[in-house]
Amino acid sequence: MVGVVHYLVLSAAVFAIGVFGVMARSNALMFLMSVELMLNAANINLVAFSLHYGNLTGQVFALLVMALAAAEVAIGLGIILVLDRNFGDIDVTVPTTMRR
Amino acid sequence: MTGAFDFAPAIALLPLAAFVVALFGGKFLPKRGALAGSTALAGSLVLSIWTLVTVAGGETYNADLYTFVAGQDTLTLHLGILIDPLSALMLVIVSLIALLVFIFSLGYMNDEGETGLPRYYAELGLFSFSMLAFVLADNLLMAFMFFELVGLCSYLLIGFWFREEGPPSAAKKAFLVTRFGDYFFLVGTVGIFATFGTGMFAGPESFPHMAEQALAGETSVTTFFGLGEQAWFTVLGLLVLGGVIGKSAQFPLHTWLPDAMEGPTPVSALIHAATMVAAGVYLVARMYGFYLLSPTALGVIALVGGFTALFAASMALVKQELKQVLAYSTISQYGYMMLALGGGGYVAAVFHLTTHAIFKALLFLGAGAVIIAMHHNENMWDMGGLKDKMPVTYYAFLSGSLALAGIFPFAGFWSKDEVLYETLIHGLGGNPLLLAGYAMGLLAVVFTGFYTFRMVFLTFHGEPRTETAEDPHGVRWNVKLPLAVLGILAAVAGVINLAPVEKVTGVHLTFLHDWLDKAPDSFGTAVHHYTGDHGLMHEFAGYTATNPLGETGTVLAGAAVSLGLALLGAGLAYRLYAVPDPEEHTDRLGSLKTLLMNNYYQDEYQVWLARDVTLPLSRAADTFDQSVIDGVVNATSSVSLFASERVRRIQSGIVTHYATLLTLGLVVILVVLGLYGGWF
Repeated sequence: MVGVVHYLVLSAAVFAIGVFGVMARSNALMFLMSVELMLNAANINLVAFSLHYGNLTGQVFALLVMALAAAEVAIGLGIILVLDRNFGDIDVTVPTTMRR
Repeated sequence: MTGAFDFAPAIALLPLAAFVVALFGGKFLPKRGALAGSTALAGSLVLSIWTLVTVAGGETYNADLYTFVAGQDTLTLHLGILIDPLSALMLVIVSLIALLVFIFSLGYMNDEGETGLPRYYAELGLFSFSMLAFVLADNLLMAFMFFELVGLCSYLLIGFWFREEGPPSAAKKAFLVTRFGDYFFLVGTVGIFATFGTGMFAGPESFPHMAEQALAGETSVTTFFGLGEQAWFTVLGLLVLGGVIGKSAQFPLHTWLPDAMEGPTPVSALIHAATMVAAGVYLVARMYGFYLLSPTALGVIALVGGFTALFAASMALVKQELKQVLAYSTISQYGYMMLALGGGGYVAAVFHLTTHAIFKALLFLGAGAVIIAMHHNENMWDMGGLKDKMPVTYYAFLSGSLALAGIFPFAGFWSKDEVLYETLIHGLGGNPLLLAGYAMGLLAVVFTGFYTFRMVFLTFHGEPRTETAEDPHGVRWNVKLPLAVLGILAAVAGVINLAPVEKVTGVHLTFLHDWLDKAPDSFGTAVHHYTGDHGLMHEFAGYTATNPLGETGTVLAGAAVSLGLALLGAGLAYRLYAVPDPEEHTDRLGSLKTLLMNNYYQDEYQVWLARDVTLPLSRAADTFDQSVIDGVVNATSSVSLFASERVRRIQSGIVTHYATLLTLGLVVILVVLGLYGGWF
């Protein structure tokens, strides 16, 4: 029987992959994808608890998160375009102007 | 109805106006501001005399004029005016002498073609303003403010010829030495405000009255350091006395006054003889009701006074410069006033203050006339024979000298005799301190007679010893007029209080005593309140008067002794110096002469104190400040600099690092929460 714990383990695994991606990769597109992974890990959590408790609030929230993710991708792609235009590269370790 | 008291502030404000006029417009005025000053002082004198007449009619005045800090349930600081017989008398003395000095300055400064005259007259006006306001002050804080202001004017005027070498240094010395005393005064003022919540001099709300009630056990006041009430009042009195000793040039803070003679002579006459130096004595007289509560403070005053009288007189014996002799004699005479105050002779002190202001201003102005005549040479050994060349100056100077030496019947005889008599009878009443003061005062009489007439004979008698003395520079009316006025006053001013004559003949002649007794009972500043049969002096100071030869006998004996000693000194001077070609006899004193010429090495000792004690001490304090205090501050800043230098490295600017830190931070928070929340 597949219980809520299985979903949570899956969610944690997906989230860990996302975190790893953010920390280990330097390509901005990979970054964006890793962030999507983390958001989806959260979605899995929401849907799993919604099923477990038998109410729909979690599923509604999952839909909201998807909309949010779409918006985030739009902004993220915009940032990546600007990055490419200003630095000629989409490697996130190159721009270090935040240091100053 | 408008009376004299409505114009009382103008007594002080007129010279202030003269100060402003002379300072900003002096350049464009004829006589460079002298006329503005003279007019203002003449106005002040008229108003002062009007005030005096009004006070004689039995009216007094004690009012706040301007409150600059209004306290809620605590002390209030204000400027006010107190006019009682003492201050009314002092106002007339100050404004009279200031007026005469302004007139004399026309001859001494304008006619001699000095530069910087607007500055001179402005400073003189500012001084007159401060001194008159000090006299008018109705509370201790106001008195302190103007006490400081006269000190400032003294500094400015001593250093008037600031391009020369001596005056600026003398000015600094005067300022620093009096300042040293003023620190004690300031602490005492704060102490009095803290103890009584008021600094008023007179009235039921005044601090002498509150102190008196506290000692009588009717009320209580807060004392500090666990001292009893009387002990604490003694401490306060002695602290204020510090300022008095500085300003009135008493031992050991007298060293500034002889140096102050570097200033223009009219300034010496006004500030360093007749008025500012009197401020200290006036202050003690002003709060005499407070000092009478403490026999210890009175004893200190008497001893300091008696010692200073003798000490300064001995130094005057060997001086070669005219103004130096007068400077030491001034110190000595103020010693007499302090002796009188300490010895319970309130009237005697005020009497001597009055006569001394007259005859010492006269002597200084006479010296100024001689200095004009001698083309600014002050050495008495270069003078001689001036008697026939400048008769007005000579007779005026002689009158002042007879008064100074205390020769019958000149003013100084009566006042000095009363000082000594009061000290003697209270000393015989069982107070050895006063007897010691009396003995020193009596010995100083001989010295006074000697140095006074040595000065007169060397300056005016004999043959001229230099070419300048043979053909002296003439002086005009503006020098002669003040000399004549003061010369007459010095001869006759004694009539205001002929106490010995009254005791012998029974005719009532002690007018000054009556005058000072006019203060209303509510003020608590009348003589009967101080020294009457049930006065503070008997109740608290424990002084009793003893006349071993009966009252008349003691008076006569005392007068005879002091007159005899004065004549002895004068006679000795006559024998030694009243010859056509006098020579220095000071060599006979041997090593004592060196000691006296060097002023008992007082200057050296004070310089040593400053250079070898205070300087290393302040160096050590500076080192402590630089190393320890600054070290702590610097260490704090370098620690944070170092730490932030390290911490700023985490700001790499690389997004990945921030993400890593975020994640690590989250993990740490989770672990900590888990540990404390008991999840594991």
